[in-house]
Amino acid sequence: MAASSHLSLRPLPGHNRPIFRSICRPVLCAADRQALFNRIAPVYDNLNDMLSLGQHRIWKRMAVSWSGAKEGDNVLDLCCGSGDLAFLLSEKVGPKGKVIGVDFSKEQLSVASSRQHLRSKACYNNIKWVEGSALDLPFSDCYFDAITMGYGLRNVIDFRTAMEGMYRVLKPGSKTSVLDFNKSTGTLATSIQEWMIDNVVVPVATGYGLEKEYKYLESSIQEFLTGTDLEKLALEAGFANAKHFEISGGLMGNLVATR
Amino acid sequence: MVRVSRALLKDGGLGISKTLSEILVCPLSKQPLRICEERNSLISDAIGVSYPIVDGIPCLVPNDGKIIDNNDMPKPEGAVDSPDEKGMSRGSV
Repeated sequence: MAASSHLSLRPLPGHNRPIFRSICRPVLCAADRQALFNRIAPVYDNLNDMLSLGQHRIWKRMAVSWSGAKEGDNVLDLCCGSGDLAFLLSEKVGPKGKVIGVDFSKEQLSVASSRQHLRSKACYNNIKWVEGSALDLPFSDCYFDAITMGYGLRNVIDFRTAMEGMYRVLKPGSKTSVLDFNKSTGTLATSIQEWMIDNVVVPVATGYGLEKEYKYLESSIQEFLTGTDLEKLALEAGFANAKHFEISGGLMGNLVATR
Repeated sequence: MVRVSRALLKDGGLGISKTLSEILVCPLSKQPLRICEERNSLISDAIGVSYPIVDGIPCLVPNDGKIIDNNDMPKPEGAVDSPDEKGMSRGSV
């Protein structure tokens, strides 16, 4: 899997596409990232709450709103992790709709499934979990009415393939809403982001024995794309339009792309 | 005995719903999958690969797929052996 992931970083012969990430090697290969998310699964939800002071819940509600998901829709939450976005989508689409949560981490899906069974709302029965890769989505073309991807795209080894996959499985006219850290350079937001990771995130994670895993966060943001580059990538993948919104003072960003 | 096992698979949450199996396709070939209840897996007949279902969650990361040994795997109803089947060799996914 790691070898094929490296091959996918180079352009295909005869294709004059701009190359993203051709200069820097990814800090972790796909298998290492999968293992990382398996390791942090037991404390992932608690750390999200603690490190964002609960704000991640607001950002995720915004992401779901931007996706345009509505009652009765079939929707996909890609890189669903422990299921935060899937549960929000479930409430939006209701019992006549369907939510599929896809993640490559068995442990994260196990947490998601447990949370589903613990929650009392009947509408959560409309969520199904699938272990899958964002690079090889196990769905037919033009199937979903909306897609969300929260803090997932940055962790995928090949942004272009993931974007093209989302385009393929979306119905024409439907949207993908991609929430993640905002990558920008030389701004106050970047300085605050770096300071928080060095002085808050990593020390707190160290207390859980996960220093190395959360140090990966900083390098993954450095390797990520800016809002402008994300818009460009979405358009190159075939989306009809793409807009990146900065939220929370520029700490976070949300790409909205329409097929 | 088989009927009891099937009921246990569904009630025990080990199997998946028919609705879900109809939504999913093979991650590699993008062709339909069929449930194999005996092996608790999803079969891609297009490329001869089976994907496991673990605790009710289908595992459809390409690396999860296993090439099917045609002598072991029960065939779908109505399927006929092709002349080439016995000569097929194993490969890796």
